[in-house]
This record gives sequence, C-alpha cells and structure tokens, in this order.
Amino acid sequence: MPQTSRELVRNCLKFDSPERIPRDLWLLPWATQHFPEEVKQLEARFPSDITKPVAVYSRSALVEGDPYKAGQYIDEWGCVFTNLQDGCIGEVRNPIINDLADWQQVKPPYEILPDIKELAREKVNRFCHETDLFVLSSCCPRPWERYQFLRGVENAMVDVLEPENGFLDLLKRIHEFYLTEIEFWVSTDVDAIMFMDDWGSQSNLLISPHYWREFFKPLYRDYCNLTHSHNKFAFMHSDGQISSIYADLVEVGVDAINSQLFCMNMKDLAKQAKGKITFWGEIDRQHILPSPDPQAGRDAVREVAEHLYNPAGGIIAQFELGLGANPATANAIFEEWEKIH
Amino acid sequence: MTNYNELQECIIKGNRIKARELTQECLDNGNPAKEILDEGLIPGMAVVGKKFQDGEYFIPEMLVSARALNIGLGILKPLLEASDVKPVAKVLVGTVKGDIHDIGKNLVAIMLRGSGFEIIDAGVDVSPEKFVQMAKESGADILGLSALLTTTMTAMKDTVDAFQADGSRDKIKIMIGGAPVTTDYAEKIGADGYAPNAAIAVEMAKTLVGGSR
Ligand code: B12
Repeated sequence: MPQTSRELVRNCLKFDSPERIPRDLWLLPWATQHFPEEVKQLEARFPSDITKPVAVYSRSALVEGDPYKAGQYIDEWGCVFTNLQDGCIGEVRNPIINDLADWQQVKPPYEILPDIKELAREKVNRFCHETDLFVLSSCCPRPWERYQFLRGVENAMVDVLEPENGFLDLLKRIHEFYLTEIEFWVSTDVDAIMFMDDWGSQSNLLISPHYWREFFKPLYRDYCNLTHSHNKFAFMHSDGQISSIYADLVEVGVDAINSQLFCMNMKDLAKQAKGKITFWGEIDRQHILPSPDPQAGRDAVREVAEHLYNPAGGIIAQFELGLGANPATANAIFEEWEKIH
Repeated sequence: MTNYNELQECIIKGNRIKARELTQECLDNGNPAKEILDEGLIPGMAVVGKKFQDGEYFIPEMLVSARALNIGLGILKPLLEASDVKPVAKVLVGTVKGDIHDIGKNLVAIMLRGSGFEIIDAGVDVSPEKFVQMAKESGADILGLSALLTTTMTAMKDTVDAFQADGSRDKIKIMIGGAPVTTDYAEKIGADGYAPNAAIAVEMAKTLVGGSR
C-alpha cells in the first residue's frame, strides 16, 4: 500500500523517510482568474498532499467586502483595507489606533470563534477523517502583521523601540486572542497548526534580531508549545531574508517553515537548519515562477535539492502560483521534484 | 566654532526632544541655518544611512532618526528659505502603478531628505501620466521610482516611456529601486540608475545631479 498524503507529510516532518516528497500548491485567486484551465490541469497532475478544513467561524458584523477584490474591505477587527486589484490583498491606509494610548479600544473578534465548540469540532473532525490529506488548521495567527494592521506599518515599527508606551499591552491582547484561537484548533483532529508573519525585506530582517527575540520569539514559542502539547505539528510562513532568525525558529519548535529560500544563502540555511526543520518550499516568486522558461523552474528545484534535500525528509515541494506566475514553469517545478525523489 | 557632535548624536539616536532643543540652541547662539544643516543634521543622517547599510540599523531605527531629523528640518526650513538656500536638488518619489509597497520608497525619501534634497512624495499606485504631470508641476530634477512586484516593474518602463512621449525625458534623471529591480533592468528600460538600498540611493542621486547624462 502506498503511503497516504497524511503519512507522507508526517514522515517527512519526522525525518522518517517518506516514499516521495510531499507537494503543496498555493493559489492566489489571481492565478485562477488568469489561467483557470492550466491551474486545473496542474492540480490534477500534481495534487497537493496538504489541505485545510471547511470554515467553522461565525461571520463578524464588522466584515464588509472581499479581501481579494479591488476596493475596500473591512475585516473582523475593524481594520479597513484598500485593494488596488482583484486577486491579491490590499493595505490599511488609515489605522484604527492612531494614538497608542488608545490601545484598549482594540477588541479582538472573539465572537467569530465557534460558539458551540462541540459542533464545530465535530465538523472539523469529520473533515479530517474523510480525507487522506494532511490537514492544517484554518486559523493563521499573525501577531506582528495584525499589530501593523491596527497601528499602520511605520507606527508599528517605531513602537518596537518604545515598548513601554502600550506596544506590549496591545501585542499581548492580540496574542491572547490567537492563543484562544489555537486552543480550539488543537482540540480538533487537524494535523498541524499554522501561523505566520513576514519578517524580512529582500536583504535583511525588518527589525533587529535583538528586538525580535525579546518581543516576538516568545509568542511563537507559545504557539509551538501549545501545538506540541496536543501532538500536532507547527507550520510557519515568513517572507523575506530571515536567515538571522532561522535557528531561533528551530529552537522554539517550528516543524515546517515556508520562507523565501531564494533571498537567502541556502548553504548557510543548510548549516543552520537542515535535518532540524522541514523546508516547506518555496520556489522563488520574484524571478523563477514568472519566468517563461520552464528550465528556470527545473534549475531552481535542483538548487534547493543540492543544499537542502535529505532522503530522510525535511522538504515539502511547495510554491505559490500568484501574480505573474507562469503555469509551464510551475509544471516543470513539480516534474523536477519527482525526479529528485 | 560650535561643536555639532551632540546634534549629530541626537539624529543618530533618534532623540526628538533633544534634536529640537539643540537645533534651537544652535540658532540662538547665532549659527547660520545652513551650517546647522550641513554640520549637524546631514552628517548625523549619513551615519544612520551607513549603519542601515551595514546591517546595524533596521527600519525602526531609521524611522526614529527620521522623526528627529524632521523636527530639526522643520525649525530650519523657514530660515533656509528666507536666506535663499537651495536644496541639493528636487526629487519626486513614488511607487509605481499597481503597487502598494511603500516602506522602501519611504526610507529612500528619508535618506534623501536627510542629505539635503527636497522630496515630493507622489505616494503609491502612481500612474505614468501622474508622474509626468507631477514632475512638471514641481520642477523635479530627479524621479525615484519604486516597485516591489515583478508584475509592477513593467510600470517603470511605462513611466520612462511616458516621459519620452511627453518630450520631457531629458529634463529629468530617473533612478529606480525595489526588491526585484536590478542594474540590468534599469539599463534595459532606459533609466539613469539603480540603487539597492536607501544609502546608495543618496550617492546615486548625487551622481545624477552632479554629472550629465
Ligand atoms: C511588507 C510586504 C508587504 C506589505 C507592504 C506594506 C507596505 N506598506 O509597504 C503588504 C502586506 C501590504 C504586502 C502586500 C503584497 N505583497 Co508583499 N511583501 C512585503 C515584504 C515582506 C517586505 C517588503 C518591504 O517592505 N521591505 C522593506 C523595505 C525597506 O525594503 P525594499 O522595499 O526592498 O526597499 C529597499 C530597496 O529595495 C531600495 N528601494 C526601494 N524602493 C526604491 C526606490 C528607489 C528610487 C531606489 C533608488 C531604491 C529603492 O531601498 C530600500 C531601502 O533600503 C516583501 C518580501 C521581500 N522579499 O521584499 C513581500 C513581497 C514584495 N510581496 C509580495 C507579494 C506577492 C505581495 C502580494 C501580491 C501578496 C498577496 N497575497 O496578495 C501583495 C501585493 C499588493 C500590491 N498590489 O502591491 C512578493 C512579490 C513577488 C513578486 N512577484 O515580485 C514578495 C517579494 C514576497 C514573496 N514571497 O515573494 N506585502
């Protein structure tokens, strides 16, 4: 009997020699809008081994619009996003908390969490039992990004240097909400909990690793500990050049990290983390995926494999089909991964 | 002769309150605004840019220094204008059409302002036509275009082309930057320069206004 998707991913995460490299394709609505047929074919030929369950949250009365549509979108925290185009996300232009002294006005959206926990749990568990795929939580805590949505990017950055003025209080309020959210998900049969925050620019961390360790690392540690105490895996996404915190992510217990490998020195990443964490993709979205030459995709896979491949596990063949991506190159990427293992 | 080390230090450390006090103190002691700018604020900001480039400073430190700088500049500005001191050059900056990423563009603007340039910020999602129009209205010497998405990089070319079509391309130098952008791309689209970070953007801007195209 071949291993199921769930077994493949689990074996990969535990370095227990999966039969093949598991796959995970991310789609921005942009891709399905621009290449509906190609996306269908790609998904049929290389089905993902990872999925997410159905929605079990209530709708917040605050929510208006669609996050992936051009125009205005209001989310469940009351943050107002302006989006330029269909198929991707927008940005908060007028943050709700202009003066940090008003941080207490932030009301985390506890009302959207399942009110009848048993019913919601049953629904999620049924989903998990009916699929052979590896199931990620549908929640995605993002304390730093949420902080930025509430305060605006530049205010948020400056707050980090003046933590006593309400930064720590607001961050704690956000974090407590996310812990409550994770508590629900760890009580279900999902295989893993996902969280995220973009921590890098193209060439460095956005904030000093010193402050990152002081204020943010403990939050991710809490998410990992809660996740592991229920025998689940911790999955994290973070964009940009984040090699200076890779070892910290390993240390707090992140099991799989989705990061911009091509911004970083993969040889260095291998030294820091190979065999200790699973590289959950990615293949470069900036230059490789938009390339019309499928060979660029193949070469990229070879480059990742050369540094990070380990037959015992630790690689999930993941990438995002997003703005400007080329379907032929995407096909070539999955084809090449099949040749590696 | 006034020792400007302390004022420089305020900018480097991002100490807004002291930056205000010291700038005022320097003026009260009869120092010319231009000297305070050239000896205090600008050298302080140059250290900030260097520290950012060397990976010692990150975005928050840059922003805090920028706030201190702006306070100093705010005090000096009317005096500089009154004594007809001209900025090094006028730079129109903006993020191109379809793109909302502006952190990098803002850092570039900060460093340029802190090096004596006047900045006109067109914001994000700026169309080629808008850039042409704003360049004319402001009389900008340099245009700084930012793009963070491979899909919006092409709008940089459209913008260069729009200046060509308008017949005003030779009146303005165009420099470009942002995560996916490269020197090769700058050459390919007919821009005058590319800089990988905010500190180098200043050098580039100085070269562009210093030399001829
Ligand atoms: C923060 C961020 C966001 C924030 C932006 C907030 C803001 N106000 O700017 C938000 C969350 C809104 C966002 C949205 C999106 N983003 Co984004 N984002 C990033 C991230 C993580 C960091 C960018 C950043 O701010 N860096 C910090 C600054 C300081 O660096 P910088 O911009 O590079 O600027 C420096 C230099 O480049 C240079 N420079 C910059 N501009 C200029 C201009 C001139 C004239 C000069 C000389 C120099 C210069 O100097 C600067 C300072 O040293 C990058 C990751 C990355 N690798 O860069 C992704 C990234 C840019 N985003 C990406 C994507 C895909 C998106 C979305 C489509 C995501 C989505 N799911 O919808 C949307 C697009 C929305 C839109 N229409 O624009 C991709 C782009 C891929 C591609 N195809 O090119 C990236 C690379 C991430 C990835 N995984 O690949 N994003």
